[in-house]
Amino acid sequence: MKTSRMLGLVMIAPAAIMILLFFLMPVVLTGVFSMTNMTTATGISGGAYQIAPHSLNDLKSAMPEIAEQMSQPRYTIDEVGLKAVEGLGLDPGIATELRAKHMGEVFPSRREVERMIKGLDQRPSTPDVKKISEQFNRSVVNSRFSSKEELFSVLDTLGFTLTDGQKNSVADVTYTGWNWTTENFSRIVSSPDMARVLFNTLLYVALVLVLFNTTYAMLLAIWTHYMPSAPATIFRSIWLLPRITPVVIYVLMWKWLAWDTGFISVLMGKFGYEPKNYMLDNAYNAWVFVVLINGFIGASMGMLVFSSALKAIPKSQFFASEVDGASRWQQIRYIILPQMRWPILFVTCYQTLSLLASFNEILLSTRGGPGKATEVWSLAAYHTALNNYAGNLEYGLGAAMALVLVVIGIVLSLGYLRIFNYGTLVSRPLIED
Amino acid sequence: MAEKSQPSANYSTWPVILALTIVSAPLVLMYVYLFIDTITDTAVGSLIPESFTLRHWRFLWETPAGKPNIWLVTLNTLIFATSVTTVIVLVSSMAGYVLSRLNVPGRGFFLAGVMVLHAFPSVTLIIAIFIVLQMIGLYNSLIGVILVKAAIDLPLGIWLMKGFYDTVPWEIEMAGVVDGASRFRVWRSLVLPQVRPGIMAVGLFSFLTAWSEFILPQVLAPGSKVQVLSVYLSALIADDNNFDFGTFKAVGVFYIIPVLIVYALFHKYLMNIYGGGSKG
Repeated sequence: MKTSRMLGLVMIAPAAIMILLFFLMPVVLTGVFSMTNMTTATGISGGAYQIAPHSLNDLKSAMPEIAEQMSQPRYTIDEVGLKAVEGLGLDPGIATELRAKHMGEVFPSRREVERMIKGLDQRPSTPDVKKISEQFNRSVVNSRFSSKEELFSVLDTLGFTLTDGQKNSVADVTYTGWNWTTENFSRIVSSPDMARVLFNTLLYVALVLVLFNTTYAMLLAIWTHYMPSAPATIFRSIWLLPRITPVVIYVLMWKWLAWDTGFISVLMGKFGYEPKNYMLDNAYNAWVFVVLINGFIGASMGMLVFSSALKAIPKSQFFASEVDGASRWQQIRYIILPQMRWPILFVTCYQTLSLLASFNEILLSTRGGPGKATEVWSLAAYHTALNNYAGNLEYGLGAAMALVLVVIGIVLSLGYLRIFNYGTLVSRPLIED
Repeated sequence: MAEKSQPSANYSTWPVILALTIVSAPLVLMYVYLFIDTITDTAVGSLIPESFTLRHWRFLWETPAGKPNIWLVTLNTLIFATSVTTVIVLVSSMAGYVLSRLNVPGRGFFLAGVMVLHAFPSVTLIIAIFIVLQMIGLYNSLIGVILVKAAIDLPLGIWLMKGFYDTVPWEIEMAGVVDGASRFRVWRSLVLPQVRPGIMAVGLFSFLTAWSEFILPQVLAPGSKVQVLSVYLSALIADDNNFDFGTFKAVGVFYIIPVLIVYALFHKYLMNIYGGGSKG
């Protein structure tokens, strides 16, 4: 008992660790990231506090006075400024007196600091006053702080009198990192673009599933069924090609077919039609190609599943029906199709999920275009979070979109587990040591 | 595979062969032209090639500016595919045995989990995985993308291996245990040789899907030092300045040949897996 249990745990550990790290953790993290506003701008690790002009603009509506104060330069008599004054080559008494009498003082405007400098014992000339005052200019605009505490302490030394609440709102508008938010979901629900994408997704899954993954696959299975074995094998191999061909090459071949110098253009040119890109010419054509490209891949799985199910039907049923004079159509209708319910259900369940999630083929063929005509949900998530022309990648929003698919995926695959009754597949070990 | 005898003596077969030939024609055409176009030149507006040329294959001995060397890319692809295959075969041949034979707590739960994960569309996790790899510093490295690809294909591998182990008779193991061998020894020396076809099938399948994989390397390791053939080819196609279908197709043929060889030699192993439901 002990040894087999230990051995079992050791042998299953690598699988468990890999699944935990690269499956379950990403599932959880998709949920976590979907609750943030991470973008390229905020970065993925923590951010900093930067008092940028636009953050002051944000502040203006809530705290107009403070925003105004912060946008103005302030003058602080500090060590750095004094060193700079000493370096100006003026009378050394100026710096000494400033250090002795005014160290640490803050002046909210240029006028006030200059009045103070003019009042010094050395009586510097007006151009010198300007030079000196400039050394103490400590504007907070465009300065960057790595933590909240640093920001607050600088604000304090510059003499801003802020309440804790005001400080926090300053921190909020100047923070460049990401925050927790539920906005992603409300954006998904309210955006008209998303509604369009949702419609595209449903249309895409339904068309490919109904036309190719089941109907056309069934047609292929039945055709090859009514055929001598040699041609049947050849045709099955041909129809498996789209699945085994690396997707980049497979889509390249379709592009060649549809391109404005491609096969269809040349062929139609013989009949006097202008060459054009048949794939991206209009939304209708794009849809035809998207469905065909995915359908040809999807057909192979259904074909194999249905073929093996067809083979399981006892030959005697076909012979008996022929003796009774059944036509081929009647054989299909009354013998084959009723026995295909289970395989069709299996293929439908399986392919729905992979169609919902896969965007390889659409990305490589139409990129969701023309416009956004063929943009489906998973591709939109990819475009939002990982690749778009604007360059600002919205990881948070993309993760929220992916989370929708993740949840659908988990719910459906748990459902399939019940439908296909996988509980019976675990047998009790016969050796107990 | 195919039927030994005709399912029907009453009907002629040529109408179905004709129908299937017609619907298969576009597919056959695309593949035929894929090969022909790489070694011929065709005049604009014509479909018949007119002269033989090898210039589309220049990419093998010339590296265009701004593109990585094709042999480096091929080496990366080979490293990627073989590493993924090795990891999947090793891990799933152990885990499959445990799920099939050994008494481990939570075995049924784990098996159900594997089934759910197999049906689960793992490509939806790519955004989270991208962020995680950036955080832990494995972004733009082959190791990162190898581990991710192996983990994603692992549930299918475990599931298939469990199925192969299920067909091994218990008597073999019992004999080994009676002779005093440990369970590990029994697995290693007696059971593993019995499931060689399974290891073969899982290995071949993993190799082919890793060799063909596009979106994971594209997102997780796009850098020119770690580029694989799929990313290289798609970048070539996306580059509007050098638009040349002949070269695209030559790279495509270069890329697809190993796949076709493996498929031609071993398609019996693979048929079972593709029929059992693979992703795509």
